[in-house]
Amino acid sequence: MASDRSSRLQGRLALLGGGALLLYALWPWLPVPGRAEQPRTVVFYGFSILGEAMNDDVLPAFARSWRRATGERVEFATAFAGSGTVTNQLILGVPAQCALLSLELDAQRLADAGVVPAGSWRRLPHGGVVNRTPFVLVVRPGNPKGIHDFPDLARPGVRVVHPDPLTSGGANWAILAEYGAAARRLPDQPRQAGFQALLGVWRNVTAQAASARAARTQFENGFGDVLVTYEQDVLEDAQAGTLPGEIVYPASTVLSEHTLVVLDKNIAPSERPLIDALVRFLWSEEAQRLFVRRGFRSVDERLNAGNPAFGTIRDPFLVADFGGWKRVKREIVDGIWKERVMREVGK
Amino acid sequence: MRQRTGASIPVGILVLVLLPLILMPIAAVFVFAFRGGPAAFLKSLGSEDAQFALRFSLLIAFFTAAINAVLGTWAAYVLAKHRFPGERPLAIAINLPVAIPTVVVGTSLLLLWGPIGLFGKALAPLGLQPMFTPVGVLLAHLFVTFPYMLGAVKPLLDELEVTYEEAAYTLGAGKWQTFRWVILPALRGGLFSGTLLTFAHSLGEFGATVMVSGNLRLRTQTAPLYIFAQFEAGNVAQANAVAAVLAALSFAIFFFLLRYSGRKRA
Repeated sequence: MASDRSSRLQGRLALLGGGALLLYALWPWLPVPGRAEQPRTVVFYGFSILGEAMNDDVLPAFARSWRRATGERVEFATAFAGSGTVTNQLILGVPAQCALLSLELDAQRLADAGVVPAGSWRRLPHGGVVNRTPFVLVVRPGNPKGIHDFPDLARPGVRVVHPDPLTSGGANWAILAEYGAAARRLPDQPRQAGFQALLGVWRNVTAQAASARAARTQFENGFGDVLVTYEQDVLEDAQAGTLPGEIVYPASTVLSEHTLVVLDKNIAPSERPLIDALVRFLWSEEAQRLFVRRGFRSVDERLNAGNPAFGTIRDPFLVADFGGWKRVKREIVDGIWKERVMREVGK
Repeated sequence: MRQRTGASIPVGILVLVLLPLILMPIAAVFVFAFRGGPAAFLKSLGSEDAQFALRFSLLIAFFTAAINAVLGTWAAYVLAKHRFPGERPLAIAINLPVAIPTVVVGTSLLLLWGPIGLFGKALAPLGLQPMFTPVGVLLAHLFVTFPYMLGAVKPLLDELEVTYEEAAYTLGAGKWQTFRWVILPALRGGLFSGTLLTFAHSLGEFGATVMVSGNLRLRTQTAPLYIFAQFEAGNVAQANAVAAVLAALSFAIFFFLLRYSGRKRA
């Protein structure tokens, strides 16, 4: 009898526990009196390293300014992943209204898939580029392998952590940085120099992650001797002393440019003013200053003095110097890296 | 008869093997979750994203368990009570989700319901798009966990003596009355364990969810996706706080499952 009672008690306990869980799960959606009105929601997708700057600084700043202007509350549903991953999700139909991609190539892929009108981002301020950041190297504390520039990555025994060009925009920028630095050193035979440089680096790539941020996590977890990544992603931690490594600035490297796309098909007419205001806000001085504070370089050069941590690069270059992303993708990423370097490495 | 003497050596070896394989990884989650102290743990857990992810996962698990409890019992009933051509292939097809990798489930759902898929194309003009919404996540979880209910209920139905049923019919009970008052009580144990298993599996589902959810924070990010995203972003403390809660919930569910099946045998 006693066991019967205890089993009934246990049954009640299970029921009670289940009920409590259900209540907890439903709580935010229960119509409790005195709760604030439902805010308007903007869905914003971005590439991996943007997460903190957008969620903590820029989007809340916009929400405040919108509230001041209209009295309405805005809430953001955001997702951050490798730029290629984000682009694929946008093509498959995620309901994003805006997306900040790591490179214009992904915007072009969206246009090819009919998600946005071709070249629509070019009509935005600065050709759609919201901010920039140079590609740098991160080495272990004290730089035990003596890595000072891209050519050092090709030395035998150096293990390179690199994001995966299939899903990561940063990885495509990194390929351009590795190729471009060599090509600019030997301007009379740029293609051969670039090929050799890429071959040297990629022979030593020991870990490939889906995004620049994931590559950094791999490096922090102890993989590899050197990481190729965005300056922005490591600047804050390097300043705070929490980066398990040191930043090395190559003499010549690319400044990545991050492109905003607006997905008109996901914007209801009533949301138009809100989205337009958000887009304008991203290029406002307030937002650009916030980006600078979070380690991005502003498209407005005057503001870049605002972050003393920015390192100097003797010979920075842009994708435009190599004919734009369409050409770089065709000739360098596909033509040289994929067709020649990866085949050579795979042997 | 079980051997009582001389067990210490094989048992010791078994524990030694299990230690790094199973026990230590589980312990590591809790150790890392509480490394910053309980205050840091609660702070990680209290973030808006983490709270949403946990609630969303629980809700999806409740819905999945409720829907599949009905669907699975019904499927088990049909399969157990009717003899028809093609019965075997149908039974195999229904159990297929156990064998298919969950990532493949996610991909196939995207291919069917996504904007380029058969259903997706039909729904698009109506402005409906289930993928990358909570409905998409629910669809994936229903698919992946479908066989659990069936597996828990069907053996009981197969074993159930037809005489009870026949007796009920003879006494003038209708089909529904017989099901409600004769068959259902006999299935209680299976319903309970099947529902709990479905709930537990849904709570931890990752492979299919990651494909169909769009991973939107505060919208479609489940707790396992949150853990993965935070870990990838290097926020190990945040990831571990939620991981510890999920692990604790699974333990609780398992505890009830074991208690229940233990009692039944006793």
